Amino acid sequence: MRFFDKQNKVIPEGRVEAVDKVTGGGKYAAEYKVDNLCYGILVDSTIPSGSIKNIDLTKAQQVKGVVGFVTHLQKPNVPGFATEDLIKQSRFGLPIFHTDKIYFKGQPIALVIAETLEDATYAATLIEVEYNTASFQVDFDAVHHNIPLQEAGRERGQIDSWRNAPYVIEEEYNIKSEVHNPMEMHATIAEWTGERHLKLYDKTQGVNNVQQVIAPLFNLEKENLEVVSEFVGGGFGSGLRVWPHVLATVMAAKQVSRPVKLMLTRPQMFTGTGYRPASWQKIKLGADASGKFLGIHHQAKNETSLYERFSDQITRVTRLIYNFDNLKTEDALVPLNLSAATWMRGPGDCTGDFAIECAIDELSYKLKMDPVDLRSKNIAATHHPENKLPWSSNYLLECISIGAKHIGWDNRSPMPNSMKDGDWQIGYGMAVGMWNAGRNKTSAAIKMLADGRIIVQTAMTDIGTGTGTGMKNIAHETTGIPQDKITVELGNSSLPPAPSQGGSTGMSSVSGAIVEASNALKLKLAEYAALINIDFRNLSPDAILLSGKGISRKENPNETVTYADLWEQNKLDNVVVEATSGPGEERKKYAFCSSAAHFCQVRVNVKTGKVKIEKLVCIADGGKIVNEKAAANQMSGAAVGGIGMALMEEKLIDAKIGGLIGDDLAGYHFPVNADAPMIDVHFIGKPDPYINPTGAKGLGEVGIIGTAAAIANAIYHATGKRLRNLPITPDTIVG
Amino acid sequence: MKPFNLIKTKDPKDAVSQKKEQVQYIAGGTNLVDLMKKNIQLPDTLLDITDALSRQVDNQGRAIQIGAMTRNATVATNVMILRDFPLIAKAVLAGASPQIRNMASTAGNLLQRTRCPYFYDVTTACNKRKPGSGCSAYDGHNRMSAVVGYSADCVAVHPSDLCVGLVALNAKVHITGKDQKESVIPFQEFHRLPGNTPHLDNNLPEHALITSIEVPENLFGKNCAYLKIRDRDSYAFALVSVAAALHLDGDRIIEARLASGGVAHKPWRWLQAEQFLKGKRATASTFGEAAKLVVKDLKPLTHNGFKIDMLRGAVETALGQCLLD
Repeated sequence: MRFFDKQNKVIPEGRVEAVDKVTGGGKYAAEYKVDNLCYGILVDSTIPSGSIKNIDLTKAQQVKGVVGFVTHLQKPNVPGFATEDLIKQSRFGLPIFHTDKIYFKGQPIALVIAETLEDATYAATLIEVEYNTASFQVDFDAVHHNIPLQEAGRERGQIDSWRNAPYVIEEEYNIKSEVHNPMEMHATIAEWTGERHLKLYDKTQGVNNVQQVIAPLFNLEKENLEVVSEFVGGGFGSGLRVWPHVLATVMAAKQVSRPVKLMLTRPQMFTGTGYRPASWQKIKLGADASGKFLGIHHQAKNETSLYERFSDQITRVTRLIYNFDNLKTEDALVPLNLSAATWMRGPGDCTGDFAIECAIDELSYKLKMDPVDLRSKNIAATHHPENKLPWSSNYLLECISIGAKHIGWDNRSPMPNSMKDGDWQIGYGMAVGMWNAGRNKTSAAIKMLADGRIIVQTAMTDIGTGTGTGMKNIAHETTGIPQDKITVELGNSSLPPAPSQGGSTGMSSVSGAIVEASNALKLKLAEYAALINIDFRNLSPDAILLSGKGISRKENPNETVTYADLWEQNKLDNVVVEATSGPGEERKKYAFCSSAAHFCQVRVNVKTGKVKIEKLVCIADGGKIVNEKAAANQMSGAAVGGIGMALMEEKLIDAKIGGLIGDDLAGYHFPVNADAPMIDVHFIGKPDPYINPTGAKGLGEVGIIGTAAAIANAIYHATGKRLRNLPITPDTIVG
Repeated sequence: MKPFNLIKTKDPKDAVSQKKEQVQYIAGGTNLVDLMKKNIQLPDTLLDITDALSRQVDNQGRAIQIGAMTRNATVATNVMILRDFPLIAKAVLAGASPQIRNMASTAGNLLQRTRCPYFYDVTTACNKRKPGSGCSAYDGHNRMSAVVGYSADCVAVHPSDLCVGLVALNAKVHITGKDQKESVIPFQEFHRLPGNTPHLDNNLPEHALITSIEVPENLFGKNCAYLKIRDRDSYAFALVSVAAALHLDGDRIIEARLASGGVAHKPWRWLQAEQFLKGKRATASTFGEAAKLVVKDLKPLTHNGFKIDMLRGAVETALGQCLLD
C-alpha cells in the first residue's frame, strides 16, 4: 500500500508521485493486477426515451470468451435497490439494471462480461435490443423559456428601488454544456473477497464517499468495503459522484463470482460521469453616474436529467464578490432526456461569474470608466456582502492591481476596436472570480519507523493537484524531519478518513490534520524522550524540534536524544499518531474566500475569425501557498480550462436524434498547447489567519472562475463585438 | 471490434491479388482502425501493405514521386519537398497531430473518410455509411459541412489538408488495378462529388491499390501559403482551408492556384478565381476580387453560412501570405 515511495531525486521540491507517474510505476484504477479477472463492457441505449421491449443475447452469447451478462432481467440481488422506495431513498440517481425505462440515449442497459476486453467489446456489439419508443426533448434552448423561475435565496433590498438607475445593462447569456473529460477514463475493478467483503479499485475523488454509497446498497459493514484510488488521472468534479458504472461493476462481479474490471469508453465519458449543464442567464445590472452598483437581478436556468434534479447554483456567486444593496436571484431547472449533470470545475460560479463579469464590463464602457476601476470600486473587500461577517482574509483588490501591472493594462487604449496590427485587432480584458473557501473535517496519521523515517497517511485522494506533495511539505515544515525521510500514503479507505477532494477544499482540509498529527508526533516522542532526559517533560509542540536523527528542544537544539536511543530504551516498535482537524467556531466569526483576478490580451483576425490568446494572467489569493510549483500547475491548468470554456468546448446535441454527436476527443474540442500562451500565474501568498493551522485556502476553482469572461471582454475590446454566448468559435466572430 | 485476420503483403501485385470483398488494405491505420472500432467498417481480413509499398520521395526530373507508404511526417520534412514543393509540407503540417502524422501514409491520406459526426455514429442515418438511410447532417448539425457541390443525400466534406495542396499542384495518382495493370488518375478526378452515391468517396477502381503520388515540377515554390481556420490550433479539422500559390513575375501574376478544404466532398479547386488572377497585379484589391469570385456561388446550409465570410477572408489572407515568403 506504499503509495509515493520513490524519492524524487531529480527535483527534490517537485511532486512526490512524479517518478511513478512518468515511469508508469503508479497504478491507476484499471491497472491493478487481480487474479482471475474478467472484463465488462456496458451496452448503451440507442434511443433517448421509451422502454426496453426485449434484449436478445443469443448472438453475443456465441462469442468465445463470454462469461456472463447483467441486464434488468438477469441480475444479482442488490438489497439497497430491492424496492422502488429503497431506490428513491438511496438517492443513487439512475437505477441501473433496475428499470426497463429509458431516460436518455447512451443509458447503460446491459453489461457483457468476458475473458478479455476484446471479447467483451465485440460481444457488446452483437446484443440486439428492441424498444418501445416515446417522445423526448433534449433541446435546452428550445424549451427553457417554458420553465418558470423561482426565487433562489433571499432578496436583498428592493428591486424597484433602482428602476430609474441612470446606467443599466440588461442582457442574456448562454453557455453550452461542457464535459470534464479527464485524461484517465473512469474505471472500476470490483473484487468480492468474501461473502460480505468487497474491494474496489476505483477512479474517484473520494474513497470514503464510494464506501458510503456502495456499502449500504449491499448491506455491507463499511469497513468491509475497501476502496483504493491511489493515482487519479484528473477529475475536475467527475469523480465526486459514484456513477452507475461503479454499481454495475460490483453487480457484475457478484453475477459471475469473479473480479470484474470495467472502464468506460470515451463516448461513455460523455454520458456516464456528468457534465457542466448548459445554461441560460439574464442579468440586469444598474449603477449610478459614479459607477456605484445600485442593484442586480440575476436569473438562471440549467439543464438537468429526468431521473434526478441537479442545480448548478449559478446565482450563488452573485452574492459573494460585490456590494449589491439590492439583489434578486432566481433560477430554474430544465429537465431533458439527457444523462445527469454534475459539478464541473468552478461549478455554478464559473457560469454565473461569466454573465456578471461580462455585464460589469459592458457597464464600464457605458460609463466610460476603466473596467478595473469599476470593479475595484464595488468589490466587497472587508465583509462578506451576504452575511456581513468580516473576511478572514480577502486580497482581491491586490490581485487586481498586480494583474493590471503583469498584463500591461496601461498599454490598453480605452476605446474598443482601436488597437490594430494589419488584419489583427488587439484587445485587453479582465474579470475577477471568487469562491467560498471551505474546509472539512479530516484525519491523518503519522507512522514513525525506528530509523527516523515517517509515513504520512490519509484516505484523501490526490487527483493530480499535488495533495501528496503538500502533505509531505507540511509534515516537513511542522516536524523538521527532512523531506527525504518522509513518504506519503493516501487514496485508500482503510487510512484515516477524509472528505472527497473537491470544491477547493482538499489542501485546506488535510493540511490542518497533518499539522495536528505532526504536533501529536512531537508530543509522543517528547514523552518517550522525557524518560531518558527529564528536560523533555511538559513541552509544547513549538518547543520541540525533530530532525533526521532525533529529538531536541528549541531552547537547546544541540542536545539531541537520538531515535536509536529512544527506540532502544523504550523498546518501541513503530510510533503511530493520528489526529483529526476540522472547522470550528472561527466559521461563526469570519467569512472565508479564495479569489483571483484574470487578465487577457487577445489578437482577433477579423477576416478569418481567428482568436489568439497572447497573454493570460492569473493572480490569486489562496492564502499560504504550500507548494508553489504544484499550486501554479493547478492554476495554469484551470486557465487552460477557461480557454476551452471561452473558445471551443461544447457538448453537441442533436435535437432530432435526441442525443449527442461528436462524442469523442476529435469531435469535442478542448485546448491543446498551441491554443494557450504560457500562463502568467502569481500568488499573493499571505496565510489566512483563521481558516486552518496552515493558512492555506483552496485554489482549484478560482483558477477558472472569471477566465472565460476575461477572454470575452478582451474580444469585445479588440473588435467592438459583444459576444454573450459561449463558446466563442471563429464563426461567431466573422458571422 | 469484430475479430479479423491480418495478412502481410510483400508488393503491390501480391496485395491486389489477395484483395476481394470483406478484405481491406491497411497502411497507417489512423482512420481505418477508428472505423473498425466504431463498427463502421467490418472487414474479415486486413492486408497489411506497409512493406508492400514505397516509402521514398523520388526525384523524377520533371516531377517528384511520393511513395504511397511515405508517412505524412516524412513528407512534411523531406528536403526536396520543402525546397521545391513547400505547399505540400505546409498542408501536411496543418493536419492531424504529430503522432498521427508519424503513422499516417500518403495514400491513406487520400482515402480517409469524412469526419461528419453522423458518419461515425451507427445509431444515426447516413447515406455514406448506409446507403438509403438518409442524411442526418443535411438539416442537423452541419456547421462543418459542405457549401458547394453537395447533394440532398450527403453534405459531408473531405477532411484532408494534404489533398488540398496536391489538387492545387495538379498531382497524379498512380495505381495498380486488380488486373495488375498500372494506370494514372489526375488528382482533380480522383475524389468524387456525392450525387446520389455518397457511399463512393473516389474513383479508385474496386480492389485497386494506390502506389504513388506524382507531383509535376512547378514555379509556385516561392509564393505559396496554406491557411487553415479551425476551432483549435492543432488536431482539428478545417472549418475552411485555403491552398494558395502564385507564380509571379515581379508583381505580375503569371499563374495562380487556389484550392480549399472544408467546403466540399472533395478537395475543391477555385478555377474561376485562378483564371481571374492570371495576368493581374498581385495586390490586396486583386486578392479581394478573387476572394469574391470564390464565394459568389456558394450555397450554405442551415448552420454554415459563416463559411462565406470566413472563406472570403481566408482566401484574401492566404493570397496575401503568398507574398510574405
